[in-house]
Amino acid sequence: MSHSGDPIVFTGSGIVCGAGGTVPEVWEKLNSGETAVRQISQFDASHWPVKVASEVTLTPRELVSDRKLHKTISRTDLLGIYAAEKALENSGLPAYREALPEGEQGAWNDRTGLVVGTGGGNYQSNYDFFPLMTEAIASGEGELYHFGRELGNQVTPMWLLKNLPNNVLCHVGIRGQYRGTNACITNQCASGILAVAEAACAIRNGEADRITAVGHDTPLEPEMVYYYHKLGLMSGRAPRPFDQARDGTVFGEGAAALVLERESEARARGASILGEFLGFGCCNEAMGILDLASDGNGVSRAIEMALESSGISASEVGVICAHGNGNSTSDRTEIAGIRRIFGDRMPPMTAMKWCYGHLIAASGIVDTVMMLEALKNGVIPGIATLRNVGTDLTPLPISSDSVQSEAEIALILCRGFAGVDTALLIRRR
Amino acid sequence: MSVKEKRRVAITGLGLVTPVGNDVDTTWAALKEGRSGAARITNFDASGFSTTFGAEVKDFDPEKAIADRKLLKYASRSHRFALAAAGEALADAGISPTESTSTRWGLAVGAGMLSVDYTDLQKVHQYAAANGEFNADGLLSHDFPGNPLAFCRWQANAGQALLTKQFGIRGYASSVHTACASGGQAIGTALKVMRRGQCDWMLTGGFDSMLNPLGISGFCLLGALSTDNETPERASRPFDLTRNGFVLGEGAGFLVLEDWDRAVARGARIYAELAGDGNSLSAYRITDSPPDGDGPIQAIRQALSDAGITENEIDYVNAHGTSTQMNDRSECAALKAVFADRIGDVRVSSTKSSMGHLIAAAGAVEAAVCCLAIRYGIAPVNANYETPDPDCDVNLVIGQASKQRIRTALSNSLGFGGSNSSLVFRNPEEVKA
Repeated sequence: MSHSGDPIVFTGSGIVCGAGGTVPEVWEKLNSGETAVRQISQFDASHWPVKVASEVTLTPRELVSDRKLHKTISRTDLLGIYAAEKALENSGLPAYREALPEGEQGAWNDRTGLVVGTGGGNYQSNYDFFPLMTEAIASGEGELYHFGRELGNQVTPMWLLKNLPNNVLCHVGIRGQYRGTNACITNQCASGILAVAEAACAIRNGEADRITAVGHDTPLEPEMVYYYHKLGLMSGRAPRPFDQARDGTVFGEGAAALVLERESEARARGASILGEFLGFGCCNEAMGILDLASDGNGVSRAIEMALESSGISASEVGVICAHGNGNSTSDRTEIAGIRRIFGDRMPPMTAMKWCYGHLIAASGIVDTVMMLEALKNGVIPGIATLRNVGTDLTPLPISSDSVQSEAEIALILCRGFAGVDTALLIRRR
Repeated sequence: MSVKEKRRVAITGLGLVTPVGNDVDTTWAALKEGRSGAARITNFDASGFSTTFGAEVKDFDPEKAIADRKLLKYASRSHRFALAAAGEALADAGISPTESTSTRWGLAVGAGMLSVDYTDLQKVHQYAAANGEFNADGLLSHDFPGNPLAFCRWQANAGQALLTKQFGIRGYASSVHTACASGGQAIGTALKVMRRGQCDWMLTGGFDSMLNPLGISGFCLLGALSTDNETPERASRPFDLTRNGFVLGEGAGFLVLEDWDRAVARGARIYAELAGDGNSLSAYRITDSPPDGDGPIQAIRQALSDAGITENEIDYVNAHGTSTQMNDRSECAALKAVFADRIGDVRVSSTKSSMGHLIAAAGAVEAAVCCLAIRYGIAPVNANYETPDPDCDVNLVIGQASKQRIRTALSNSLGFGGSNSSLVFRNPEEVKA
């Protein structure tokens, strides 16, 4: 993969999660040592084994002001649209387009793309059918017969559209008239980070001149919590990645977005540059939906691919942001994979899910936005819930406190169901 | 942007499970004749729904198609189609991942949207919403039979997990979903991964099955489906003036992509070169693309340009052609804008006239159809066409399939949400060394 010539840079970022609704807010929370994992408010979890999550506290109106749109999209879409439009605003691109001669705006829109990573849907959307199901059972007719016949009287005609996985792509496109290359990635946890990677590749490949990459998800719903808990993946408190006492993850909801373009274009329009995209790797362990290779070979292959595509060596990596979801096996195999590359010369490492929970499809891109801040500010946020590094993992260059850093290059890891491993490399500018 | 030599990508294997056949040969035979796969729904009692028919996959025996029983437990209906079609594609290509090549094999699939079986939803209803109102604590009941296996089946990348495991694909793996454009965009993604050198082989395709109570409900509510309940086999009539909605289908389509030079070196049968990919966003309305074809036009032009050809080299278009009023009009406007004076020379058909609309699988199945059209020199028929629509005056293949040499073929997939995908397939005889 060639990366010579014009580097791809980030010129705008947007974020919303339990830790805040702006980049500075989330950054500050991350460095405060205080978790944004709190009592669940969206449903009564008082009898549940899992009572906490990291919920977005902004109201729907604060997320997307157009009330009409609220009826036709889901909560996850509100978050994605919010983050995308904040990132675009931050990049200055909408204002730049406004200043173009009118005759040039159409072509500019055709060269402006969107790549979105999404969780792909939730269980709750089907609950809209419950009143009808109750009625159908009581009807004395065949249940499905009654269900089908009365469907149109009981459920909104917009039901399907409300639940399309590609709604953020659709509505950010319509609202902003961005009409270029696009994709909607539904690769579970890896969706958001792959949106960043595919956006960068599309620009390199000449498919678009600028792309907004978005990741959004709202995994927090009772049925999802129930299944994750049954599978032994959930903790009852803020996650403690890499700790001896790590016992699972908790959900967070949220979204993040990044605007990518060529450095020459960014400079020509006087945009501020947040950092540079260097390269990425993506592979999988081919062991089914939940199992992980004990030697971490997927993690190490993803890192190798990322290093190779970036044209850098492992020793140039200044900081690692691990997936660190707080699950015993996931954390252990992740470290095994990292060690296969770095041996005993691991650069300082951190992980962020202790603060804003596991955002599933949005997790990797939220971490990327925060790592751009980390490089820019010369600070690596600590893992505040860390007490004792797991004896199966020690020694690890991690800290519970934020530390000063001169790192230029960050490696961000993101893992997901289906044994998917991704690695992204970014550089300070 | 400097013009780089693009890596050439060969299509060397095909696999299909469709409403008109559970493999490539049966499907192709039906498409040549324009035989319909639509009939009264048998998967469930659809008699109360506004549409009571669909294009179901018939007589599909998952245990025959998939040897690994354990894997089957994790597989939803659409995953089973996917495993069968992918297996056929790899066998057809005569090459599959080995210990030494597995990390150079990738997977890119268009997967259906997260849905659940009605029977799974019934259990949640019974325990947590019997009176119609959802009460989360009901799930905590000791008797609630919430099954983590079912959970695994409905995860966004569950199909991907089964495919990579079954075939030992350890490189790049991803799933995309842009509604009806998913299959096309997945193949476009696979092409890009090949070109940027991240993989040397890709298994790519799409799978979907929305022919269940909840799946069909969404489309019934929207009024998107044909309600010709008395004449299911004639209901899908793309470009016909009297068309009144699409026919919901199900199935899977898979392609094996391979580095061109390697394919030639091993003497593989090459169906076509996957030559170009284009995609755009209509940014117009959720369900429609603009009447003037704006959006699809850019996707088609990008695909042609990506393939390094002009519109003059396209002989056949496998249209998205859903048989809805708006889609067919918009797509024809786009074709007329792109092909201009040549529009009369380009044969157009929508094989949804036979198979119905396979949603996330549609673009992948139709990509395979383009490969077969090129290989056999036959443009399949646009079935059920009777009454011309002045807005859809393109050169449709009507009455019977058209025997003709096809130099390059174009396949369009236009999705809800406004994503448009176009792919260009080149006849291997047209590939200059």
